[in-house]
Amino acid sequence: MKKRIGSIIIAVSLSVCLLSACGAKQESSQGDAGRERGNTSLGASMETGDSVIVAMGPGSEPEAGFDPAYGWGAGEHVHEPLIQSTLTVTKADLSIGYDLATDMKVSEDGLTWTVTIRDDVKFSDGEPLTASDVAFTYNTVKEASSVNDFTMLKEAVAIDDTTVEFHMAQAYSIWPYTMAIVGIVPEHAYGADYGEHPIGSGRYLMKQWDKGQQIIFEANPDYYGEEIKMKRVTVVFMEEDAAFAAAKAGQVDLAYTAAAYSDQTIDGYTLLSYETVDNRGFNLPALPAGTDADGNLLGNDFTSDVQVRRAINIGLNRQEMLENVVNGYGTPAYSVCDKMPWYNDEAVVECDPARAAAILEEAGWKKAADGIREKNGVRAAFTLLYPASDSLRQALAADTQNQLKELGIQVTIEGVGWDTAYTRAQAEPLMWGWGAHSPMELYNIYHTLEGGLAGYSPYTNETVDKYMDQALAASDLDASYELWQKAQWDGETGITQEGDIPWIWLVNIDHLYWAREHLQVAEQKLHPHGHGWSIVNNVDQWKWQ
Amino acid sequence: MRTHVLNGRVRTALWFSLAVLFLALITILGLVFAREAVVTDFSRKNLPPSSACIFGTDWMGRDMFVRTLAGLSMSIRIGLLAAGVSALLALLLGILSATMGKAVDSAVTWVIDLVMGIPHILLLILISYACGKGFRGVVIGVTLTHWTSLARVIRGEVLQLKEAPYIKVAGKLGLRPWQIAWKHMVPHLFPQFLVGLILLFPHAILHEASITFLGFGLSPEQPAIGVILSESMQYLAMGKWWLAVFPGLLLVLTVALFDVAGESLRKLLDPGSAHA
Repeated sequence: MKKRIGSIIIAVSLSVCLLSACGAKQESSQGDAGRERGNTSLGASMETGDSVIVAMGPGSEPEAGFDPAYGWGAGEHVHEPLIQSTLTVTKADLSIGYDLATDMKVSEDGLTWTVTIRDDVKFSDGEPLTASDVAFTYNTVKEASSVNDFTMLKEAVAIDDTTVEFHMAQAYSIWPYTMAIVGIVPEHAYGADYGEHPIGSGRYLMKQWDKGQQIIFEANPDYYGEEIKMKRVTVVFMEEDAAFAAAKAGQVDLAYTAAAYSDQTIDGYTLLSYETVDNRGFNLPALPAGTDADGNLLGNDFTSDVQVRRAINIGLNRQEMLENVVNGYGTPAYSVCDKMPWYNDEAVVECDPARAAAILEEAGWKKAADGIREKNGVRAAFTLLYPASDSLRQALAADTQNQLKELGIQVTIEGVGWDTAYTRAQAEPLMWGWGAHSPMELYNIYHTLEGGLAGYSPYTNETVDKYMDQALAASDLDASYELWQKAQWDGETGITQEGDIPWIWLVNIDHLYWAREHLQVAEQKLHPHGHGWSIVNNVDQWKWQ
Repeated sequence: MRTHVLNGRVRTALWFSLAVLFLALITILGLVFAREAVVTDFSRKNLPPSSACIFGTDWMGRDMFVRTLAGLSMSIRIGLLAAGVSALLALLLGILSATMGKAVDSAVTWVIDLVMGIPHILLLILISYACGKGFRGVVIGVTLTHWTSLARVIRGEVLQLKEAPYIKVAGKLGLRPWQIAWKHMVPHLFPQFLVGLILLFPHAILHEASITFLGFGLSPEQPAIGVILSESMQYLAMGKWWLAVFPGLLLVLTVALFDVAGESLRKLLDPGSAHA
C-alpha cells in the first residue's frame, strides 16, 4: 500500500516537473540575446546606447516570415514592416503621411490612384527601388495574400520609374491606409524563401532569425530617412510569465505584460502604459431567432429588441469594469474606432442603470418572481460566449454577467473555441476584440454582405450601408471621414445608442510594458488590436538616457 | 501486535470507512456548492487565504475553496461513472474472452492490445475530441480507456478457473457455459472486480484532471480541477501560490484516499494477500 501511494506521489511530482519544464524552456529560449545582456551591466548598455532587447508574445512571431504577402505588417494585426518601406505611413493622429510616396492623386471616379515615389531609394542589396517593384509588390499581394483583403485592387501598373498607377475594381477612398501597411519587396529578389531572407529598403535589416526564439535586426546603413538611433534591435518571444521573469532578471529592456501583473514592481523598470483602440465588446444579434440556409441558428429573440440593446448599452458601467478587470489600465469604449479620425463621438453614452431599467419596463420586459425579466414568454436571458483561451475576455464576460443581473437580465457565460465561435455568434453574443488603423473595420462589422446581413452578427440598415458605400466612393479622404461618421450617426439613424446599437463596446485595453528606467520609448500612436509589433513601429527613434 | 486494542482487520475496516466517508463528503459538499463555485465577485479578487476564504480567491474573485470542492466533486463523479462502466466492461470481456473459445479470445485480446498500445492520454484526447469535447467528451473518453488492464486480470483469472475441478465437473454435469460463468465464476471473481473497480478511480480522476488541464475538456468557467490548476499556472509568477497549492494538495489527497480505500478493501476481501 505504501508503495502505491509513493508511486502516485512520484507521478504527481513528475507531472509538476514536466509542467514547469514548459516554463523553463521558454525562459532559456531567449538564448544568446538574454545571456549577452545578462552579462553586460546596465552601465555598459548605456555606454553603447544603441541596442535594445524587446520581449513579445510567442504569437507575434511571424509564422510565414517577413513577406507582406503572407501577413508581415499587413496581416490580422497591422504594423509598420520595419524591413520594408511603405508608400504611405499613418501619423500620430492616424492621418496619412508619406514614406516612399512623394505625391498621390485619385481620379474623379475613384478608380485610379496615381502615386509618385522617391527616386533615391535603394534596396539593401544595392539595387534601386523603382515603380515596377511597387507594382510587382501589389500585384503579388493581391494574388497571394490570404490574411488581408485586396479584392478592391484590379491591377498595379508602373508608368515610369517613379510613377505607379493603381487601377481599382471599385472606388476605395481609404486606399492610403492600405498603402501604409504593405511593405515594398524587390521584384528581382523575390521568391519562395523571401519570408526567411527578406530584402527591403526600410529602416532595418533582418540579421538573424532563430525560430521560436529571437529575431535580430540591424540598422540599414543606406536608409534614406531620418537617422536611426537604435542600431540593433533584438526581439525575443516568450509567454507573459516568462517575459515577466526575464525582466525581473534584467535580461530584456522592454517586455510586454498584462494588467494582471500591474500590481507587481521590478527594480530598475517602470510600467509603461499606452492607450489603444484595442477594444473589447460583444455583438447583439439584431434579428429574431431563426435558422440560416445551412440550418445554423441565426438571430436571438431577446437581443433583437432594439430597446433591450439600448438598455444594455447604458446599463453597463464601463469605468467599474475597467477597475475590476484591468486594474484601471484602459479607457471606456463606445465604438470600434474610438479617437480615430473617422470616429463619431455621438457614440459616447452616460452610464445610467435607472434609465436602462425604465427602458426595459417601457418595452414590456417585466420582472418575474425570480428577478429575471420576461415578455410574452421570452426570458431576458442570453449566453455570452468568450474565447476559452482568453482570461481577460472571460473576466469581461463575467463582469457583464454580474452587471446585467442587476438589470434583471440573466447572462450565462461559456468559453468556446474559435472553431465554433463565428457560427454561434450569429445567434448568441460573443466577446470580441477589434481595433484597426483603417475605417474598413466599420465596414466589415456593420455593412451587409451579399446575403443581406452583416458578416459577424446579423444586422442590416440601408442608410448605414449607403453612407459607407459613399465613403468608399469619395474622392477625398477628409470628405470620407465625415461619411464614415454619418454611418455611425447622422442625426436620425445609425449604430449608436439612439440608433440600432447592434454591438456593445466596453473597453479599450491599454498596452502595458515593463521598460528599463533609462530607456526612452518614442511617442506611440494609438495601438491597434494585437499586443505585438506595434510598440516597435518607431524603435529607430528610441533612446537611452 | 497483540498489544493493540483493535486487530488488524478492524483497523483496516476503519481506514476503509474513513476514506469512503471523506470522499463522500467531498462529493456531496461539491454538489451543494455547485452554484457558488461559478460566482464571480470582483470586489474580493486576488485575496490570499484568510478566515473568510480559506483557499483564497482568484482574479475574478471566485472562492477557491468552493471551486476546488466543486471541481473535485465533479472529478469523483466522473471517476465513479468511468470506473463503474470500465469495470463492468472488463468483467464482461474478460469472461467472454476466457470462455467463448479461441476466436473470441484472440479478438478481445487484440482489442485490449490495441487500446493499451496507444498512449493513454493521446487516446483520451482523440476520443473526447471525436465526441465533441466538453463534459460529454471527457466522460466518454475516460470511460472507454480504463477497462483494459482489469479485463486482462479477469481473463487470466478465468483461464485459471476453467481448469479447476469443480468447473470441469459442472461442465460434465451439463451446465451451459454462461451458467457456469454466472453461477460459479462471477462469485469467485467478485473480490477482484471490486478492488479493481476502486483502484480504477485514482487513474480516472488523474486523467480527467490532465485532460481538463490540457484544455480538451471543459470550458474555463466550469469548476474542474484541471481547469483550476492550469489557470493557476498563469498566476504563479505573480506570487499567487494559493491558487495552485491548495487545489493540488486536495487532488493528491483525494487520489491517495481512493488508494487507501482500494487497498484496505483488498486486504479485507483477500486476507491471504495481506501477509504476502
